[in-house]
Amino acid sequence: MTKIAFTINGKQVSSDVEGRTLLVDLIRDELKLTGTHVGCDTSQCGCCTIQLDGDMVKSCAMLAAQADGANIVTIEGLADGDKLHAVQQAFTECHGLQCGFCTPGMIMASVGILKANPNPSDEEIVKGLEGNLCRCTGYVNIIKSVKRAAELMKV
Amino acid sequence: MRLIQGHGRYASDWNMAGQLFAAVLRSPHAAARIVRIDTAAALNAPGVRAVLTHADAEQAGFKSIVGGVALKDRNGQPMKKPHYPVLAKDQVAYVGQAVAFVVAESATAAQDATELIEVEYEEQPAVVEFADAVAPGAPRVHQDIEGNVAYVHEHGDAAAVEAAFARAHRTTRLKVDSQRLVCNPMEPRACLAAFDAATGRYTLHAPSQGLIGARTHIEQITGLPAKDVDLIVEDVGGSFGIRGTPYPEYFMAMLAARTLGKPVKWVGSRSDTFLSDYHGRALALCGEVALDETGRFLAFRWTDEINLGAYAGPFGAFIGTQNVSITSHGVYAVPAVYVRSTLAYTNTTPISAYRGAGRPDIAYAIERLVDQAAFEHGFDPLELRRRNFITPAQMPFKTATGPTYDSGDFPAVMEHALKASDWAGFPARRKESEARGRLRGIGLASYLEAAGAGTFNKDQTAARVGDDGRITIFCMAGGSGQGHETTFVGVFADELGVEQGVIEYRASDLAAADLIGNGTGGSRTAAGQGSAFKALARALIEKARPLASALLGGEADYADGRFSAGGKSVGLIDLARKMARGADGRHPLDCEAEASSPATFPNGCHVAEVEIDPDTGVTDIIRYTSIDDLGNVLQPMLVEGQVHGGVAQGWGQVFGEHAVYDRESGQFLTASFMDYAMPRADWLKGTFTRESHPVPTATNLMGAKGVGESGCSGSLPALMNALMSAVRPLGVKDLQMPVTPVVMWRTLNQTARKAA
Amino acid sequence: MYAFEYLRAGSLAEAGDLLSKNPEAKILAGGQTFIPTLKARLAQPTHVVDVARIKDLAGITVTADAVTIGAMTRHVEVGNSAEVRKAIPALAALALEIGDQQVRNRGTLGGSVANNDPAADYPSAVLALGATIITTSREIAADDFFQGMFATALAEGEIIKAIRFPIPKRAAYSKFHHPASGYAMAGAFVADTAKGVRVAITGAGASGVFRWSDAEAALAKSFAAAALAGLKVDDSNCIADLHAGSDYRAHLAAVMTKRAVQKITG
Ligand SMILES: Cc1cc2nc3c(=O)[nH]c(=O)nc-3n(C[C@H](O)[C@H](O)[C@H](O)COP(=O)(O)OP(=O)(O)OC[C@H]3O[C@@H](n4cnc5c(N)ncnc54)[C@H](O)[C@@H]3O)c2cc1C
Ligand code: FES
Ligand code: FES
Repeated sequence: MTKIAFTINGKQVSSDVEGRTLLVDLIRDELKLTGTHVGCDTSQCGCCTIQLDGDMVKSCAMLAAQADGANIVTIEGLADGDKLHAVQQAFTECHGLQCGFCTPGMIMASVGILKANPNPSDEEIVKGLEGNLCRCTGYVNIIKSVKRAAELMKV
Repeated sequence: MRLIQGHGRYASDWNMAGQLFAAVLRSPHAAARIVRIDTAAALNAPGVRAVLTHADAEQAGFKSIVGGVALKDRNGQPMKKPHYPVLAKDQVAYVGQAVAFVVAESATAAQDATELIEVEYEEQPAVVEFADAVAPGAPRVHQDIEGNVAYVHEHGDAAAVEAAFARAHRTTRLKVDSQRLVCNPMEPRACLAAFDAATGRYTLHAPSQGLIGARTHIEQITGLPAKDVDLIVEDVGGSFGIRGTPYPEYFMAMLAARTLGKPVKWVGSRSDTFLSDYHGRALALCGEVALDETGRFLAFRWTDEINLGAYAGPFGAFIGTQNVSITSHGVYAVPAVYVRSTLAYTNTTPISAYRGAGRPDIAYAIERLVDQAAFEHGFDPLELRRRNFITPAQMPFKTATGPTYDSGDFPAVMEHALKASDWAGFPARRKESEARGRLRGIGLASYLEAAGAGTFNKDQTAARVGDDGRITIFCMAGGSGQGHETTFVGVFADELGVEQGVIEYRASDLAAADLIGNGTGGSRTAAGQGSAFKALARALIEKARPLASALLGGEADYADGRFSAGGKSVGLIDLARKMARGADGRHPLDCEAEASSPATFPNGCHVAEVEIDPDTGVTDIIRYTSIDDLGNVLQPMLVEGQVHGGVAQGWGQVFGEHAVYDRESGQFLTASFMDYAMPRADWLKGTFTRESHPVPTATNLMGAKGVGESGCSGSLPALMNALMSAVRPLGVKDLQMPVTPVVMWRTLNQTARKAA
Repeated sequence: MYAFEYLRAGSLAEAGDLLSKNPEAKILAGGQTFIPTLKARLAQPTHVVDVARIKDLAGITVTADAVTIGAMTRHVEVGNSAEVRKAIPALAALALEIGDQQVRNRGTLGGSVANNDPAADYPSAVLALGATIITTSREIAADDFFQGMFATALAEGEIIKAIRFPIPKRAAYSKFHHPASGYAMAGAFVADTAKGVRVAITGAGASGVFRWSDAEAALAKSFAAAALAGLKVDDSNCIADLHAGSDYRAHLAAVMTKRAVQKITG
């Protein structure tokens, strides 16, 4: 067992984990933050995307032990109190989700896109989403949502 | 709002105190006899509480997994349905079939223990393709089904078709495959089951499209009365047809929960989805059309080959029978149609309904056949369609063998699409592409769907009024991304003329209201449940009217959410707040309603324009146009989203998705996202234009026709016709899905070589 | 995943120590290959030694004739490094074609090169640029390093510290993404270096990354796409699987080479 401590959505947490515990399992099963989803076992779908020390990563492709000392934000920690993050706002406005299962990962990936590039073109958005799968929306409204979020973030 | 903040509750998000965890051991073989299962070592592993096998399921009285409708062929022969045990008994018939169910204190302990179960298999030869299964001397998937043929379906008038072909001026024949797909909703299956010994009731969380269907199946398979099972479903991460009925893990979790006295949770992986969710499509349709000298269609003849997989899945047999027959005329006035489908078992995962379940397949086959006929006999493909369309003047139109189309304006919808896609400007665009060394093609499809054929002939809804006057409305359709919350609240609030904020929608809450109704499926929800909510609003007004009249002292009129009489008025919600609950706890305005809505026929015309890079075989979609007649559209944004999703899934089938099995060993070769090409955000390189061309139906209160599958039905033929249009000039005679880059490259190469 | 013990090394010495003490231990870098492998139960180490935080393995240094990149440098850092972009833009561009943003935020140069996946991108740059792999015990030339699918010259417990890339006169990478996995179905890295033109092909070779000598010779004579006309990659040593035959992969390799040259010549 390895003792680890990190910050998640502004809260300091610590835990004793087995070497093989995945970060996503710790987040979902122990911390009960079930907004981060698991959609695959080969790290292809992006449903599990979280922000780790400012970078978007797939929490299914990390051991919990690797996150020792990190600062993590999950979908639950994105809004500022009652105020939605611009990307959340945009997904709502543009109908960027249907079943919602891919959505937390899509939103986190979109936040990542806009952090690196506040003015992305359609092509850049598409490239930024290459690690995320959605089966419902055909991506059209997701791409729209990211564009809209870029606008919202400017004001 | 919940979903964008991570507060959704999908099946794997539920937990209960003291829960145990399960893992499934699956068959590594496509066909094998099970000689022996030894669970001793697994049982002794740390943390393991139970290892259940077929013996346990049998002891619990579990019956065969239900194989859909009871079909009888024209000779009165019933469909042959092998027993489909919840856990494999003495044989396994596909890779991934569930063999044992391990329950332990942690998910990893359960997973570890599956490796300690010793199963002695005696491998047998496997067949995975339809042609191999029905070939003389083929290995039998089930010992008692000779020739592996489950059923032969016939529909229509064979003799009339025969006669039409005999006097036809020209004929065209085209066989198209609709390859096996994995449906892959983004949420892998999961369940959590608990048993309360005191009440004898079960609680089950599982991703399900509709509660009634699921509970009926649970009752049929486990023998537990449906009323003893509380199936609780809040959010479902996509279903597309395959999540309408329960799966083996759910029954085993219920059994384990009862035996062990603790809740049991199972969370499937994507690998479980690939191997054990029902698959989709897996059929080939061979169409023939007879034409007279002017190009008018005299008859269609369909000879279909349906690969059922190893067992009869819940809706497996529907696809190749009812669903490919109901719209086998397409949008055309065809005097004679005959359909003959052969359904065969193979050593593959059973199929069930997936996004349209046969309807996109037949739409695809028709529209490719029409293009092919135009090409072979020198007709302009648009002109050939115009000549054969059923016209608005002919509505309602009784098809030769099938249903009556109630409404539609197919010629106008096509003209709309031609305009919106700038069809006329295509030759210039093609020249421009050619100058860059690219091949360009344009393709069109006038599709027609049948929607709204539910298991129940009506849908029921209920309203429950709170002390604060807020109204909660219920129906039986579970949501999985179709936006029911918004749609139903909108319909109901609009009809009442009240603010949406005072209405709350809850799906499938059996404790609150005991209703019947159809699950989400067959794209019928908007028309069916929507109509029932409209009726519910009307019922509520009528229930409130006498109370309002009494309060206002005169016969009350209702408008915009208020009753008024003699200069006085009261708002509906205020009125509700004023009323006291009855002795039975019911609010005086609580009410129920129902509506029946027969099948509707959504239709439309899609145009795809593609560009091919002959160096790599990669195809880009340059523009996509979809003009749809979905009747009255309740929520344009939601409908548009459904169409986008359907078209993207169509793109997936046309360009990449394919569940590939090894022909010899029956191993499943594309069973992960590393090998199975899903559409990603980059699938559409150009623009997507979608416009409505509504011709409302009078057959339901909403005037709606349904939407769910139209994206697939339009995109498969439009895209494939576009590809053919790009490569026909080079001498390419045929293309079959999926047209991956390598397939396109090879086709172009071979054609060039032949030409040289 | 099978159970294992997680160990974090603070220094190279500590890592070496942990690895030598535990013969069944494995190195963990970004984990973008190794963790999926563990999840699929395709590896069963007793210990996993996390080297990602070792300072000696980090950092990018540029001299007049070479760029040296620490093994733990993540793909995103290589891709966005102003220095790498200036010195070897093709290498930065390649890094940004690996996987997706999430993978690039974790995966490392050292991990990719040590793993030598036949469909990985970095090996083509290492080979085409004639880079040197600097390990805890020696320096290995690229031409000697890659030894077939998933096989390298690395000895047990030997750790890649950094990779030194000579700065070419000009270079470009062109990749054809696998439709499902996004890895290279075929990728060509073309470099015009002080030691001549070098062309490395990844994704296609049945024994991993390889140099396409016919193309190198043709481009040495005339550095233009036209020089490649009629040249074919020998498909007898190309991967054939359910996604594509060896002929298609060989063909793609040639097309990607042509496109890489066109990127350079404009
Ligand atoms: C979804 C997805 C998509 C991907 N797409 C691509 C792609 O398109 N192209 C591509 O090239 N790659 C791709 N990858 C792989 C990715 O680039 C990996 O990051 C990389 O191959 C391995 O680097 P790592 O740091 O993650 O190493 P790890 O996964 O931690 O380790 C990989 C192997 O190398 C060994 N190792 C690691 N570091 C060292 C060292 N310094 N010295 C000696 N041995 C070491 C480890 O023991 C292990 O065996 C993808 C991965 C994923 C999950
Ligand atoms: S669950 Fe992490 S990428 Fe799919
Ligand atoms: S909204 Fe359902 S998977 Fe994306």
